[in-house]
Amino acid sequence: MKKTVLMLMIVSALFLPLFAQGQSDAQESDPFSWIEDQMINGLPGVNPIEVTGNIVTAGSSTVFPLSERMAERFTEEGYNGTITVDSIGSGAGFERFTVAGETDISNASRPIKAKEIDQAKKIGRNPIEFKVGTDALAVTVSAENTFVKDVTMDELAMIFGSATYWSDVRSTWPRQQIQRFIPGTDSGTFDYFSEEVFDKDPAPMLNASNLQLSEDDNILVQGIEGSPYAIGYFGYAYYVENKDKLNVLAIEGVEANEDNVNAGLYPLARPLFLYSDATIMREKPQVAAFIGFYLAYVNEEVTRVGYFPADDAALAASKQGWLDAMEGLY
Amino acid sequence: MKSIQTHPFNKKLRIREAFIEGALFLFALLSIAITVSIVVILLRESLLFFESDEVTLSGFLFGTKWQPMIGYFGVLPLLNATLMTSLIAMIVALPLGLAVGIYLSEYADEKFKSVVKPVLEVLAGIPSIVYGYFALTFMTPLLRSIFGDDVVQMYNMMSAGIVMGILILPLVATMAEDAIAAVPVELRLASYALGATTLETSIKVVVPAALSGLSATFLLGLSRAIGETMIVALAAGAGPKMTFNFFEGAETITGYIVRISGGDVSYNSVDYTSIFALGLMLFFMTFTLNMISREISARYQTEYE
Repeated sequence: MKKTVLMLMIVSALFLPLFAQGQSDAQESDPFSWIEDQMINGLPGVNPIEVTGNIVTAGSSTVFPLSERMAERFTEEGYNGTITVDSIGSGAGFERFTVAGETDISNASRPIKAKEIDQAKKIGRNPIEFKVGTDALAVTVSAENTFVKDVTMDELAMIFGSATYWSDVRSTWPRQQIQRFIPGTDSGTFDYFSEEVFDKDPAPMLNASNLQLSEDDNILVQGIEGSPYAIGYFGYAYYVENKDKLNVLAIEGVEANEDNVNAGLYPLARPLFLYSDATIMREKPQVAAFIGFYLAYVNEEVTRVGYFPADDAALAASKQGWLDAMEGLY
Repeated sequence: MKSIQTHPFNKKLRIREAFIEGALFLFALLSIAITVSIVVILLRESLLFFESDEVTLSGFLFGTKWQPMIGYFGVLPLLNATLMTSLIAMIVALPLGLAVGIYLSEYADEKFKSVVKPVLEVLAGIPSIVYGYFALTFMTPLLRSIFGDDVVQMYNMMSAGIVMGILILPLVATMAEDAIAAVPVELRLASYALGATTLETSIKVVVPAALSGLSATFLLGLSRAIGETMIVALAAGAGPKMTFNFFEGAETITGYIVRISGGDVSYNSVDYTSIFALGLMLFFMTFTLNMISREISARYQTEYE
C-alpha cells in the first residue's frame, strides 16, 4: 500500500510541470520513460525504444547529412516513430519553424537572425540554439582541373564575382570562362559565403556570369565535376562524398582538414546548429529525446559524415541548454 | 407534354435521371470553377508582385537580367531559355512526328499499326522526370562526347530540348496521323489516277491538304513543350542566363518556378510572388497557343464537308 502511494507521488511529481503549463493531454504512461538513470556524455541517457511520437525537422542542406545520420542511428537503436529531415536551406527552415510553426527542430548553418527570433516569439516560440558541429566550407573544382590548387580570399571574391575568365584572376590561368555553381540565395551557405568573402553584399556574386544556383548540393557537385573550368562551394561533407571527382582548394594557403579547422586556421570554418524551443521539448518528449541523443553522440558521427566536432565549450553549452530547457522533468 | 406521356420509362426513373444530369452538370461546373480560381489566384499573387516598388512592367517584360534578390526582374533570359528549349524540341518532334504520321496513315497496314500505336502510347505514358534523368545521364554525356566537354556544358539547353522533343513525339505523331487520315480518300484516288506514286501523293497532295490540321498539331506540341517542367529543371541548368548558345545552361520559366517553390526562398519575399507572375505569363502563352490551335482545327474540320 505504501508503495503505491509513493509511486503515485512520483508519477504526479513527474506530471506536475506539464499541468503547470496548462497541459491537459496527460498520457497514461510516463512520456519521459526514455530517460535513463545513468548520465551519458554529460546528459541523462536516452533509450530510443521508449520514445514514441513523430519528429519533424527541416532546414540547412549542410546540416542535413549530419541530422540524417543521427536520425538513422536513433532509429537503429530502437526509435519507432517517424523522423523527417527536410533539406530546404537554413532560411526556409527558419521560415517553417518561426512563421508556420510546422517543425519541431530547425537545422541551420548560420545563427538565427534577430528578425527570425521576433517572428518566432509571435507564435509563442523561444528558439534555443544547440551547436552540434563545425563545417569547413569547401571550395572545389573538378578533379580534371590542374591549374587551381589554392586561392586567397581576394581571389575568391574575383572568381565568384567580377572575373569572367580564369585569366582575369591570375594571368597564368587559362583564358576560359569561369563556370560557377553556388547554393541558392536562401541557404545558410550562400549567406555565410557572402558575409565572409563579399562583406555581406551578395550583389557581385549574383551579378556574375555563368552562374547556376541550386539548393541541391548534388546538382552543384555534378556541375563542377563536369568541367575543368567550373568551380563551386558547399558543405565539406559533400566534398568528402565526392572526393574522387573533386579537388578542394586551400584558402590563403590553409588546407581544409581537421587540424586546421580545430586550430581555427581555416578561414571558411563555420558552426552548424539545431534550433528548438523549450515548450516543444517539454510537450513533445520525443523531440527532447532526439536532441538529447543527438548531443550525446554527435561527436561519434560527425567526422564520419564529413564535418568536424564543435569545440568542447560550445558543445557543453548546448548540453547545458538542453538541461535548462528540461529542468525538473528528469 | 406529350412526349413525356409517351416516354417508355416511369416517372421515378426520370427523377433519378434528372439527378444524374444535375450531378454531372455540377462536376462540369467544378472543373470550370477550379480553372477560374487558379486564374484568380495567379492574378492576385501576380498583382502583389507588380505592386512591389522594385518591379515595373516594362522592366519585367524587357529587362535582360533576372536576379530577384538584387533587384533585377527582366523576364527575357527565362523566356529566351523556354523558347530555345521548345524550339529544339519542335525541331526534333515535328519532322519525326510528321514522318511517323504519314507512315502510319499512308503506308502501314493494320497489323503494323496495332503494334506501333500502343508503343507510342507507352512512350507518352513515361513520367517526364524519367525523361529528365535520361537527358542528364544519357543525352548530355552523348552530346559532350560528340562536341567536346569544352563546348557542351554539363547543364545545357540542347540536351533538355532534344529529350523534350522525344517526350512530345507521341503527341505530335498521333495528332499528325489523325490530321492526315482526315483528308478525303477522293484526293488520293485522284492523285493515283494521274499516275502519282504513294510518296508523291503523300507529300504533294495529302500533306498540303492536311496542313491546317498539322499546324494545329504543331501549336499544341509547342504549347506542351513550353509548359514542360521536369526535363528542363533537371537538365537545362539552374541559373538565369541570356544566351543564344544551345550548349550552355540557362534556366527556363518552369525551371525557375520549380527551384523557387522547392523551398528556396521565404513566402513573403518578392522572389516568391515572382513565380506567380511567371506562372501567369506561361498560362497566357499556352492558353493563346491552345486557342489558336483549336480555331485552326475547327476550321479544317469543315473544309471538306
